[in-house]
Amino acid sequence: MATFIVKRFFQFIPVLLGISILVFFLLHLIPGDPALTLLGQDATKEDLERLRNVLGLNEPLYIQLMVFLKNLFQGDLGISIFQDTPVITLISTHLPATLELAVVAMIIALLIAIPLGIISAVKQFSWLDYGSMFFAQIGVSMPVFWMGLLLIIGFSVNLNILPSFGRGEPLLDAFVQTIQTGNLFYLVDSLQHIILPAFTLGVMSAALITRMVRSAMLEVLKEDYIRTAEAKGVRGIVVIMKHAFRNALIPVVTIVGLQFGNLLGGAIVTETVFAWPGIGRLVITAISQRDFPVVQGCVLMIALIFALINLIVDILYAIINPKIQQG
Amino acid sequence: MNKKSWFSILFVMMFIFSAFLAGCSYEKPASNNTGSAGSDDGDAGAARDEIKVGLDVDAGTMDPRLSKDTSAKRVSELVYDGLIRLSANLEPEPGLAEKWESPDPTTWVFTLREDVTFHDGEPFTAEDVKYTFDSLIDPDFQAPYASLYEPIKSVEVVDDYQVKFTLKEPSAPLLSYLDIGIVPKHIGEKNDNTLSNNPIGTGPYKMVKWDKNSKISFEANDKYWGGSPKTNKLTYFIIPDNSTRVASLESGDIDIVHSPLSPQDIKRIKENDQFEVIETEGLGFTYLNFNQKHPILSDLKVRQAIAHLVNKEIISSDIYQGMDTPGKSPLIPASWAYDESISGFSYDPAKAAALFKEAGWEDSDGDSILDKDGEKLKITLSTHSEDPNRMQAVEYLQNEFTKNGVETEVKTSEWPTFSTGLTEGNFDIALVGWLNLVDPDRSFYNPFHTNGGSNYGKYSNATVDELIEKGRTTLEQAERKSFYQEAAKIVTEEVAYDVLLYQGYIAMYNKNLKGFTEHPAGSFYGLKDAEITN
Amino acid sequence: MELSKQYQTENQTGTLPKKGFDFKDFFQLITQSKSVLIGGAFVLVVVICAIFAPVISTHDPYEMNMSERLLTPMEDGHILGTDQYGRDLFSRIIYGARVSLEVGLVSVVLAMVIGVTLGLVSGYYGGWVDTLIMRVVDIFLSFPVLLLAIALVAALGPGIENVILALGFVYWTNYARIVRANVLAIKEEEYIQAAKTIGSNDFRIIFLNILPNCLAPIVVVATLGLGTAIVSEATLSFLGLGIQPPESSWGWTLAFGMKFIREAPHLSVYPGLAIMFTVLGFNLLGDGIRDLTDSKLKRN
Repeated sequence: MATFIVKRFFQFIPVLLGISILVFFLLHLIPGDPALTLLGQDATKEDLERLRNVLGLNEPLYIQLMVFLKNLFQGDLGISIFQDTPVITLISTHLPATLELAVVAMIIALLIAIPLGIISAVKQFSWLDYGSMFFAQIGVSMPVFWMGLLLIIGFSVNLNILPSFGRGEPLLDAFVQTIQTGNLFYLVDSLQHIILPAFTLGVMSAALITRMVRSAMLEVLKEDYIRTAEAKGVRGIVVIMKHAFRNALIPVVTIVGLQFGNLLGGAIVTETVFAWPGIGRLVITAISQRDFPVVQGCVLMIALIFALINLIVDILYAIINPKIQQG
Repeated sequence: MNKKSWFSILFVMMFIFSAFLAGCSYEKPASNNTGSAGSDDGDAGAARDEIKVGLDVDAGTMDPRLSKDTSAKRVSELVYDGLIRLSANLEPEPGLAEKWESPDPTTWVFTLREDVTFHDGEPFTAEDVKYTFDSLIDPDFQAPYASLYEPIKSVEVVDDYQVKFTLKEPSAPLLSYLDIGIVPKHIGEKNDNTLSNNPIGTGPYKMVKWDKNSKISFEANDKYWGGSPKTNKLTYFIIPDNSTRVASLESGDIDIVHSPLSPQDIKRIKENDQFEVIETEGLGFTYLNFNQKHPILSDLKVRQAIAHLVNKEIISSDIYQGMDTPGKSPLIPASWAYDESISGFSYDPAKAAALFKEAGWEDSDGDSILDKDGEKLKITLSTHSEDPNRMQAVEYLQNEFTKNGVETEVKTSEWPTFSTGLTEGNFDIALVGWLNLVDPDRSFYNPFHTNGGSNYGKYSNATVDELIEKGRTTLEQAERKSFYQEAAKIVTEEVAYDVLLYQGYIAMYNKNLKGFTEHPAGSFYGLKDAEITN
Repeated sequence: MELSKQYQTENQTGTLPKKGFDFKDFFQLITQSKSVLIGGAFVLVVVICAIFAPVISTHDPYEMNMSERLLTPMEDGHILGTDQYGRDLFSRIIYGARVSLEVGLVSVVLAMVIGVTLGLVSGYYGGWVDTLIMRVVDIFLSFPVLLLAIALVAALGPGIENVILALGFVYWTNYARIVRANVLAIKEEEYIQAAKTIGSNDFRIIFLNILPNCLAPIVVVATLGLGTAIVSEATLSFLGLGIQPPESSWGWTLAFGMKFIREAPHLSVYPGLAIMFTVLGFNLLGDGIRDLTDSKLKRN
């Protein structure tokens, strides 16, 4: 396993390098001058020129790329042009919010997808099956921002039972506080904030996971040992949960891992709608300000998380199904 | 571990967890330190000692010398004081300076308050004033608004509480810009970006925590020289989407929001008697910038004809729902220099057609687009995509122009792309705006002077140049007024700009917020006297 | 190549039987799948709207009338009311089907051409070409492609062509992976080897023998991709990077209608429903076809 992880790590380095270079050139293709955006309409030409020099924007592109890569190898992501703060600090304050959102979204997606998937597999070709699959499909067919705003209008404005924006205390902190004080307020407050954005985000993934659970279950239900179990008189829910579902987990774990990556992508829009202070909003704002170091840093960080998730999926894969040991 | 025991452990853990939760209470903590905007409409009893404000963008830096975005300004209004403060009608009032005098046109002497300390307890003195302005005019410091302070030649400390400004030449607008926050020399000198993230000022509120892109928390400065603020805690929440921000006001998550707002939300909130809506004249205008170097638009008659195709009334009443009012000239109504007699161009397609004809443009090939020498009358109308109202105005104008024989292409891009195009003169007609016009010099020198830094359309008129220069160096307000009014008349007649709208400033707040006074510049300084009542 | 292994699991499309594609058989199967029937019906409705837009629409979709702005549905003969410029919303949605389908179709075809070509080359030749292409695929899969699309549109400038280009350029990886997997599975088959020995050139083998066998999974990915493209276009519009007026896609109408969600909910509800209906149609259709090809594979 250790060699496998090391090997995977080295495979990832060229990918990371490729991403850096791709993003670097793409960003410099985008018209718009960070100096002008920073200094504003009142800036004089001399001021702009001076700032461009300070930011190194007057260097030839390949030199800028070299400088960027050199710093990168030294673990330095640079300093935000707009916030005057190291990029790594910005990422470390925004990333936990996104991860929290993605994890809760994934839990919601699983809570929707697993029951729906199992029901539709067990009752294959029934109206329950079609109904479940249709329901799951609706979630993925709605533009995220549209669903988000509809939820805000419904739950925050009309019913006024959930906050319309922002993040409460970080869930973990809130949990600790609740334990320390015995007061549920902290936990409930955090959960109230996260539920709408997490639902919006999770529904997207629920459709695919439902499909995967269903088809995995269908495969397994046809297997001999399930038939044997049924023949032995073990019936109904026990067979489904104990034998079938456990074996259906393998492909499900894979898609959950891949979907987690998708959630990070979906978070870009969801965070904008719900004013969630995560890395998605950070990167969107940075693109619109031409804050190159921040965009670069965020994209690399997201890529790193993607790679990490893929690795974890592979490891889980090996653990759940020891037959597939990989080198 | 086999799967069975794994499941049992999980089960037991869930049981313990739920038992634990069952034993928990649920009550709002007495002092709500979470600072989160919950849907806490259930607080009965004592009024909340916190005001929650919704802002559209996060601050970039909190150093008032470096800041350029409005949110940073909203922060520095509470955390810092300037030498002066601008009144609601833009007249300078005493701030950290008790009084000032001008022994000659190039000298200003400010007498400072002696009872002021910074939030860290250090006393405020003339040294801090000198340091602030020295760094502002230092080219290496990269202050975005350095050009405003360019007339300052030097700042000298006379004694601890007196400071002397020497100017290169007389400058009338300068005093209006001296409301910029004074920063503590002892911290600023360290040059370590402390002030960018942890502002230390003399103002009514201290910043206690800044969760980037989320919220900024303040606490009252009990030792404030102007009296301790009424409310102890103040929080700015960053909610980028205009509609979400207003929805948060309606759901009680925040207490006050202000411009930029969507016009349609204003109408709805006005009809809701739970909220107060204040509309005042703002300090900005929205205009069409005509590129004078464009082969077609360089013809004055064509510019005038196009100006006659702009229905400002409809744009104001329908797209902006009366939030912004039809514009006339680059002099805003809130200014002492405003001239009502300059009326601009009325919507008149017939007149426009006549002017086009005079300029040689006619529809000779029957495609309903005007042409001249085989060339079509084709222009591009551009604006930036961040402002939905401007996007709508552009789409509306496209329809009007095309209907009247001007083939119009629309180009909307993000601000950085759009503004780069502007500075490079790479546009035909651009819809854009000016903000914070505390002095007419701001809306004349840079935009219209031949050497003006933001004269995107390359407008040039010797008479106008002279008037603008005189306006800048003459100190007598009545004289300045006549210069600017004359200049405004010329640039309007020559369609350098077609001023579309005068921007309004709108604040909407929950009626249980009492004691807030608004300011045309959107200043939140008035929040120091506001409180939440039941 | 661990990444691509997972993707095969994700897209269990399998391969089709060896010799070509039996359309008669295929259409027989279609009638058996409710998913395909329902999805196909949805899509058909949208396509009809797009083709016969001038006949179906009740008003000129570009005609502004500021005195009739924001009318509610069924008011003054406007079936779905009017938008912020007093234009008839029903007619705009009908015409919007053209733009949205155009964005979807052209970008999917673009993605397909890029992806299928690279997938074929990668799978057929193997070696360093394969490694290189798959590394590029990895790069694209290593961060949210939406981000890439945003940056591309920002770089290219707004407008329908650029939106299409951007979407086509970011969504090609699925095709490349699936085609490659299929090529790998069949290129060692006897008839391919036979073709090689009789001296057919690579080009002939790839396009006449291999490509037809990859058609089913390509159709599945493309159908699902149409939905993704339409939603992505809406998202770009929401972020201010959409097409340019007076042209109007559903996404653009929706993104702008959301500014009026409180006083004129019809402006965002109906375009939103149009998108949902269409995307649902494509998704059901795609999933249905996938199930059919899977079950057909199993029967063999």
